[in-house]
Amino acid sequence: MIVPIARLGGSAARRLSRLGALARFGFGALRAGFALSAAGRRVAFRVTLNQIRFTAVNAVGLFVLLSGILSFLVISQLVRQLGTFGATDLIGTVIVVAIVREFGPLITALAVAGRSGTAISAELATNKVLGEVRALEAMGIDSRQYLVVPRLAAALVSVFALIVVFDVGAVAAGFLAASINGMTGTRYAETVLQSLGADDIWLTVAKAVAFGLIVGVVPCYFGLAARRSTTEIPIAVSLATVVALVGIFICSALFAAIV
Amino acid sequence: MTAPPLEFANVALPARRPQALSLTVPAHHTVAVLGDEASGVGALSGFALGLERPAAGSVKVFGTVIADLPERERLAFRRRVGYLPAGDGLLQNLSLRDNVALPLRFGSAAAPPEIEGRVNVMLAQVRLAPAAARRPAQASEEERRRAAFARAMAFDPGLLLLDQPFDGVTVRTAAELLEVARGGETAEGGRRTILVTGHELPEAIRRRVETVYRLSREGVLEPERA
Repeated sequence: MIVPIARLGGSAARRLSRLGALARFGFGALRAGFALSAAGRRVAFRVTLNQIRFTAVNAVGLFVLLSGILSFLVISQLVRQLGTFGATDLIGTVIVVAIVREFGPLITALAVAGRSGTAISAELATNKVLGEVRALEAMGIDSRQYLVVPRLAAALVSVFALIVVFDVGAVAAGFLAASINGMTGTRYAETVLQSLGADDIWLTVAKAVAFGLIVGVVPCYFGLAARRSTTEIPIAVSLATVVALVGIFICSALFAAIV
Repeated sequence: MTAPPLEFANVALPARRPQALSLTVPAHHTVAVLGDEASGVGALSGFALGLERPAAGSVKVFGTVIADLPERERLAFRRRVGYLPAGDGLLQNLSLRDNVALPLRFGSAAAPPEIEGRVNVMLAQVRLAPAAARRPAQASEEERRRAAFARAMAFDPGLLLLDQPFDGVTVRTAAELLEVARGGETAEGGRRTILVTGHELPEAIRRRVETVYRLSREGVLEPERA
């Protein structure tokens, strides 16, 4: 009886220990970011811009498409269904509550973790396996400052920017769907604006920060945890993706429970 | 009396070899330590730079145990030592030029034009300028080696640690790169201090090295030629 319980406890302790290591890694990266020299900041800034180009700018089209299709489908159905009850005024509430507040940040974070998080973990694991991280440290370059800080900063900026893109795309597609289904543009705009409060903006910002931290820290942690074998690269990518996705869902549920 | 550039004192090599290693690399000398993979010769540079810690003994670089320094100071101190890792360690997503420039751009307080000037000098010294825009994957083995040498010398260090530096290059190129790495001879004996580690050295290179040691699998270090 005791052995299975001990096994369960051991597994939980290992998971908690990994969570602690992830948190330490994240705080270490933040501290390293604040300790950057002026020259280091210039280099890190260039790397950050490059990462933002890859993570956010190159992905704008994808996010407009995703948000547009999701919003168009949801709003088309809702306008028809709510119209039968004369309750189309609720469209704005649905757009704000379901898409701007919940699905926008969640789907954006999941897509960024799937698209860029995998690339980050694969890249850093390759850096590690090829001895590039060791070479950086030997040259007097803090690998966290050069590799982790720019990716973390880029993830924070990119997740926030893409949530905004997603929300704007969703509201615009909702407008299109509402218009096709007989709702006037003015009425649609009124219902959306009435439902949108300052709390929604702050919640979006808070989620962007939380999800950005997960998308930035988790892939870097697992990428740099690879050692010296190429077989560790896919393992690192797989672990990083699973942990990031689970982390995003848990974090989203926590937001829903708290707010 | 100034401390020697590099001093290994009773260093325990990996895999619990019975013999501890002691070795002093005198200033302005080029010393080679050769041994097979099982000898632990590949661990020497990592110990010197404080990337790893030996289980026993100490390694002093210019009289300082780098591994004992606080993190920021440790990183800053390493800029006084040039390091060429086995397999070159070039960043694959940067051009050869950017690889050479990276330590200067990140760790030097010099203005960008000064840094670019220094990079141009380094690229010219190792005869890499025409291929400098290529990424490591687009460059030949020899060009990557030349870039790795230039990067190791970016800060004009007094001590160079070269791990298997001549793999994949001709003897002629190896001799040329070693001469560039040693630097010019001056009245004060301004040549760099160099520790070369690896499995073997071509005869033409051995002639340019002051002392060659052989490290056995048991951890015994013996001079091959004084």
